[in-house]
Amino acid sequence: MITGNELGERKIVTFSLGQQIFGIEMAALIEIREWDEPTPLPGVPPYIKGVTNLRGTVVPVVGLAERLGWAASPVHARSCILVVNLAGKQAGFLVDEVADIVLIKDSDIRPAPDVEIGEAAVIKGLVKTATREGGSGPAGDIMVLLLDLEALGITRTLDLAA
Amino acid sequence: MSEELDDIQAIFFEECTEGLATAEAGLSAMDAGDVSPGTIAGVFRAVHSIKGGAGAFGHAALTAFAHRFENLLDEVRADRIKPTPGVTRVMLAAFDVLSDHVAAAQGTAPVPADAQMLDALEAILKAGGAPDAAPAAAEPEPDPFGFEPVAVAIDPLEELDPFGFEPVGVALEELDAAEDAGAPRPWTVTFVPSDAALAHGGEPVLIVRELELLGGEVTAVDLSGLPPLRDLEPEHSYFGWTLSVPDNVDETAISDCFDFLAPSSIVEIAREAAPATDLPPVDWATAAPPPPEPPALPAASAAPRPVPPVLDPAPQAAVVAQPPRAASPGNAEPAAQTIRVDLVKLDMLLNLVGELVIRGSILADRLSPKDQERVELPQLSRLTREIQDTVMSLRAQPIKQAFSRVPRMLRDLSVETGKQVVLETSGETTEVDKGVIEKIGDPLTHMIRNAVDHGIESVERRLAAGKPAEGTIRLSAEQKGARIFVRVADDGGGIDRARVRGKAVEKGIIPADAVLTDEEIDQLICAPGFSTAETISNISGRGVGMDVVRSNVEALGGRVEISSVPGRGTTFTMVLPLTLAILEGMIVRLSGQRFVLPLANVIETVQPEPGQVKPTTTTGEVIELRGNYLPVRRLNDTFGLGANDRQRPEDSLVIIVESEGAGLVGLMVDTIDDRREVVIKSLDQNLYPIRGLGGATILGDGSIALILDIEALVAPASRIQKGLAA
Repeated sequence: MITGNELGERKIVTFSLGQQIFGIEMAALIEIREWDEPTPLPGVPPYIKGVTNLRGTVVPVVGLAERLGWAASPVHARSCILVVNLAGKQAGFLVDEVADIVLIKDSDIRPAPDVEIGEAAVIKGLVKTATREGGSGPAGDIMVLLLDLEALGITRTLDLAA
Repeated sequence: MSEELDDIQAIFFEECTEGLATAEAGLSAMDAGDVSPGTIAGVFRAVHSIKGGAGAFGHAALTAFAHRFENLLDEVRADRIKPTPGVTRVMLAAFDVLSDHVAAAQGTAPVPADAQMLDALEAILKAGGAPDAAPAAAEPEPDPFGFEPVAVAIDPLEELDPFGFEPVGVALEELDAAEDAGAPRPWTVTFVPSDAALAHGGEPVLIVRELELLGGEVTAVDLSGLPPLRDLEPEHSYFGWTLSVPDNVDETAISDCFDFLAPSSIVEIAREAAPATDLPPVDWATAAPPPPEPPALPAASAAPRPVPPVLDPAPQAAVVAQPPRAASPGNAEPAAQTIRVDLVKLDMLLNLVGELVIRGSILADRLSPKDQERVELPQLSRLTREIQDTVMSLRAQPIKQAFSRVPRMLRDLSVETGKQVVLETSGETTEVDKGVIEKIGDPLTHMIRNAVDHGIESVERRLAAGKPAEGTIRLSAEQKGARIFVRVADDGGGIDRARVRGKAVEKGIIPADAVLTDEEIDQLICAPGFSTAETISNISGRGVGMDVVRSNVEALGGRVEISSVPGRGTTFTMVLPLTLAILEGMIVRLSGQRFVLPLANVIETVQPEPGQVKPTTTTGEVIELRGNYLPVRRLNDTFGLGANDRQRPEDSLVIIVESEGAGLVGLMVDTIDDRREVVIKSLDQNLYPIRGLGGATILGDGSIALILDIEALVAPASRIQKGLAA
C-alpha cells in the first residue's frame, strides 16, 4: 500500500478529526467532496452513514470518527468527504476539515505508540510536519497520525465484529 | 513469469475452456450415436489445440495426457479404430481426466492420477491394431520423423517451451511409413496470392524465386482462376503455385518468404505425405490457435476465390489437394468472426446505455406529448431501445455453457449411485445474460444432484414399477418474454409428500397439525435445513441443496417452481430474469426516502378504507381484500424509519405483492411517486450485499434510491430481523 518515489518521499493529505490531525496516502485519494447527506441504509453499523452517488457509482460514506470509535463529528460547513480507494473498493470518509497536502520522507515516519484508538492497527505511524504559512491551525510542527486505509476497509466480517 | 506471458496464459486457459466444451459436446454427440467424421474431427481438433497450448506453457502432465488422448482420437478419426460405444465411453472418461488436468494446470485442482486412464487408452490403441505405435508416440520429445505442423511455426510461444515439447500430431501410419523411408519428406508449399496481391506490391514471382533459392521447385501451377482474355485485368493475380521444397529446409525459412504477402492470400506449408497414404491431413489451420497475422487461416477463409485444385495430384495429393474448408464436413462452416472484449468494458457500455434509457424516460416525463413529438423524442427512444437490445445481446451467451458441465456430473453420479441416467437436453442455444449464466451453475448442480439422488429410483424399483431401467433427466431452457425458464425434469418416483411432510414436522419446520396443499408440501423441499435423505450421501443430503437453489435463484430475481406427479417424476423450474442490469420498478416513498419496488412482483395497489387494515397481534396486521385476509408489513417499521406514532393506514398505500416465500403480502408505503425503469447498481461493488435490498439505483436528480428485495422483506420475521434491525 505504501508507495513512495525513489527518493523515499511521499505525499500525504492531512485533515482534522476532533483535535487530531490525521494523514492518508495521497495515492489512495480519489477526490474530496463537499458533504452531501447520503442515502441511509438499513441494517448497517452506525458508522456507515449511507451511500452516495459518485459519478454513477454507489459509494458508501463512513463516519471516520465513529469508525475509530469516537463520538460522531458534527457536520459543519467545512466538513467534507475524502473518497478513497480501499483495495479496489471505493469509500468516502467524513472528516472535519481537510488541512494540507505535504511531502514527507519515509525516514521521518515513526512507529505509532499506543494511541487512544480502538484498533491501534489503523495507525500506520506518526510523522511530524511543519504547518504552512497562512495555513489554519497552530503554527509550528504538528504531529500527524498516518492512517492505514487497508485496516479501515469496510468488510462484512469487520462489521460483524463491530 | 512475466506479466505479458501471464496474460497470454490466461487466454490459453480461456481457449482450453472453449476447447473442453467443444470436445465434450462432440463426445456426447458420439455417445449419442453421431460418429460422423466432422464430429470426430472436432473433438480431435479441440484436444489437439489444448495439447499445443499446454506444451507451449510447459504444462507437462497436461501435455502428456492430451497427447495420448489425441493419439487415440487420431486413430478413430482415421477410421482405424471404430468409435464403438465402448471406445466412446473410454474417451468420455478420458475427457474427464483431461478436464482435471486443465484445472490442475490452472492451479485450481490437484494433478489427477491418470495412470489408469492412460492404460485404458493404450489398451484400445493396442487392440485397435497399432501395437507398437503408442509407446513411440507417447515419447514427450519432438518426433524425429517430422510431420511438423504449421501450428509450430505460427505459435509465437513455441520457443518458450522449456520441455521441448512440440505440438506434433503424429499420424501413426505415417510414423510407420517414415520408419521405412528413414528420412523426412520434402515440403509441399501451396500459395495462391489474393486478387489484390499485385496492387499491394506482392509480386508472386519474387516469392517463387525466393523459394527456388531455397531449392524449391514448382510442381504445379493452378490456372483455373484465369478468366477469358477479354476479362483479364492486368493488375490482378490469377495463378496459384505448388512447390516442392527439400526436406532439409527449415520451415520458418519457408514461411519467411511469405512475410510480405498481401492479406487474404492462401499459403499452405506441409510435409509431403507418404505415397499410398490416403490419410486425411491434419487440419492444422483450424487446429492451431488463430495466428496473429496472415498468412494463415482467417485469411484463407476470407479468400475471394475458391482454392483451386492442384494439377498434379500425386504424391502430395493427400496434403495439398484439400484446402482447410473442404477437409471434412465439420470444417464446412466458416469460422465465425469474433473478437474478445473485456467484460468490464461491456459492463460499462451496458451501464451507460441504461443511463441513456433512463434519461430518455425522464425527458418523456418532463415534456408534453406535443413537445415530445416536436423534438422527435419517440424516434430517439426507439433508437435508444435498439442500442440497449444490441448491447444486451453482446452480453448474452448460449445457456449451453451452464449445461456443459452436466453430462460429466451425471457420469460421476451414475458411478456413485449405481443408477443409470440418460440426459436429454433442449434449448441449449437459448441466450441469457452472462451474469445469469455464471450464477445458475451452482443451483443447476444441486438440481441435477437432487434429481439423481432423490428423483430417479434404483434400477430394481424402476423395473418393478414397469419403467425402463435407465432413468431420464430432461434439461431444457426456453425464453418466454423477459424470463428464462430452465427446467430439470426427471422420470423418477415423484415427491413422496407423506414423507416430506413427516420430515418437516420432525424438523420443526411446520407444526404437526398444519394444513398444507400438495404444492406447499413440495415447496418444503426448499426450506432451510430440510433433507429427507435417509443416509447422508456424498451427493446430497446435507440439507442445504435445495435451500441453496432457492436462495441463489431469488438473489437473481428469479423463483423456483416445483411440480411433481407421484410415480411419474418431478420437474424443477428456475424462472430467471433475462438480464440483471435493468429493472422496471415503482418509486415509493417511506418517510420521505425513495425506494424502488420491483414491478414484477406487484399485483395491485390498494388505498385502504378506514378499518380495512386490522391488527391481529401486537405487531401483525392484515388487510381485508375481497373477502381474503392478507398480511400487511409496514415498510417504515421494517426499515426503522419514520416517527414512533404509527401512521393511519388510510393515509398510506398498500401494495399487494406476490412472493415465492409468503404468497400474497401487502406492503404499506407512504406514497407512490412514479413508475420507471431503473439501472441496478450493486451495493456489493463498494460495500457488501444488504439483506432486504436488491441493490441501489441513481435517479434522474442524481440521488440514490434503494431497491427493495421483496422476497427478503416478506420472509418470516425470524429470518429478517437480524438483517434489518438497524
